[in-house]
Amino acid sequence: MEFTDIIYKVFIKDGSWLTILNGLRVTVEISALSLLFGTLLGAIICYFRVGKITLLKMIAKAYIAIIRGSPVLMLLMLLFYGVFAKTGLSPIFVAVITFSLHTAAHVAELLRSSLMALDKGQAEAARTLGFSAFQTFKLITFPQIIRIAKPVYTSTAINLIQWTSVVGYVTITDLTRVINNTASRTMQPMITIIGGMLIYLLISYITYRLFDLSDRKQKTNSGE
Amino acid sequence: MPILEIRGLKKSFGNLKVLRGIDLTVESGERIAIIGGSGCGKSVFLRSIELLEIPDEGKIFIDGDEITAKDVNIDIIRRKMGMVWQRFNLFSHMNVMENLCLAPVKLLKMNPQEAKEKAMILLEQVGLTTKAYEYPGYLSGGQQQRIAICRTLMMNPKVILFDEPTSALDPTMVGEVLAVIRTLAKQDLTMLIVTHEMNFAREVATRVLFFADGEIYEQGTPKEIFDNPKRAKTIAFINKQKYFSYEINERQFDLPKMQGGIQTFAEKYGLNARKTNRLQLCCEELIYEMLNNSCTGDDIKILLDITYSELDNKIKINFSCAGKSYNPLEKSIDEDIDEADLGAMILHNLSKDYSHEYVDGVNKITFRLT
Repeated sequence: MEFTDIIYKVFIKDGSWLTILNGLRVTVEISALSLLFGTLLGAIICYFRVGKITLLKMIAKAYIAIIRGSPVLMLLMLLFYGVFAKTGLSPIFVAVITFSLHTAAHVAELLRSSLMALDKGQAEAARTLGFSAFQTFKLITFPQIIRIAKPVYTSTAINLIQWTSVVGYVTITDLTRVINNTASRTMQPMITIIGGMLIYLLISYITYRLFDLSDRKQKTNSGE
Repeated sequence: MPILEIRGLKKSFGNLKVLRGIDLTVESGERIAIIGGSGCGKSVFLRSIELLEIPDEGKIFIDGDEITAKDVNIDIIRRKMGMVWQRFNLFSHMNVMENLCLAPVKLLKMNPQEAKEKAMILLEQVGLTTKAYEYPGYLSGGQQQRIAICRTLMMNPKVILFDEPTSALDPTMVGEVLAVIRTLAKQDLTMLIVTHEMNFAREVATRVLFFADGEIYEQGTPKEIFDNPKRAKTIAFINKQKYFSYEINERQFDLPKMQGGIQTFAEKYGLNARKTNRLQLCCEELIYEMLNNSCTGDDIKILLDITYSELDNKIKINFSCAGKSYNPLEKSIDEDIDEADLGAMILHNLSKDYSHEYVDGVNKITFRLT
């Protein structure tokens, strides 16, 4: 059998590419939603973590320690087979909850380290010019946090995409699961899995470019 | 009406009392230089005026409005003041023009085009029109500080507070920033300047405050403070005096430790080896002279004080010893000297302006090192 025939058989024949596309959609869906909710939750946890209320601080610390210190697959299984077992929630929904919780812990720490790296003098300078605390946050602190956090945030997002490959454990047919199925069906594990990896590589690359693009935009704002 | 009035300002950090009650009235057009050693509270004082540090006690009025009052909108009152920082604190994610126009456009609702024109005029005054669209990170410290000054001027403040505006600059850039502040001084702007540049303070200020121990220790015109300071700490500061003291309470005292202390002191202030040697020799001989001739029994109380003035490079020694009255240089040195008087001989040769008095059972000896 020629190489092109194998490619055809694995990725095209009998609507194989449609199945793969479907798996890809699930992976992207879980990743994107988890990144969104995880970032929002992470910001809240970070707010608690650096805040003045001791109880919330303790809760945030414990949350970060537990989530970051345990495998995300364990958390996923715990939620799917344990906590939400009898609720009949869709597996994808549970996966989004799991990865949001997971991402939140990382984002909280990421934001906290960005806050610490921030030059507080600039915020003080804004206050003395007459800006309110909120205006200062909006105009000075927030844009700078974004800038500091971005490189690490990009890799957090890319990590998240890789990590969603374990959702096959809870019956979700994501990209990894589809590739696995295709490999067994066609008896061509080498070609199939390499193809799957290339797709992941492509998603990561696109994600990276998306963040990089917004970075460029900022830089070219310099001249008028 | 005074432009700035401060009454009984107090501030502590934990147990550390940084400001112990400061009263100050500043009239419009005054230029006040604030000088003092590190940790004397001068920066905290400026920060308190801006309410970046919340005072424990006291009231601050800016142009008649009390910024320390409850329920007052401090953001509005702060607009009357400008602050220039040691570390410039330009907004790093904005270019120079955005830095200058942000506050007037957002807060004073100035027309953006007008703001730009005004910014260009100010940039021209400080010679930086070519940098209008650069980011602060690409500018030198001196350039950043000049732009930071423009940023405060954009708000037309009634008072400008300078917090060590040249301390973070390397020496080649100090001049350009001071030049800008000098031109402001000519425009009769009210300014409070915390500075370590004494010549600049003398030249620009109409009044000088010397801070020590969290209070205004002495104040006056530059001439009064720099040429004729009245109080001890001011004199020591102006003449850049440095101290070393050592106390001896037993006959078998730790001589190497004292000599080591003097050595460290001398090295710290760059005394040459010869002077250091002489200083150590003098102190050692003097102590043994007194231990042998003045002190009786084991109840020893000797205090050695060395003052080094960086300004004229002179070393003064104050020595006190409780015991019998004894003056090591009483004997005439010209006679034949036996070995026991070698110490006195050394002292005689190395000292100048020597004086001895005996008060309340204590020998007091002062002299300068030749």
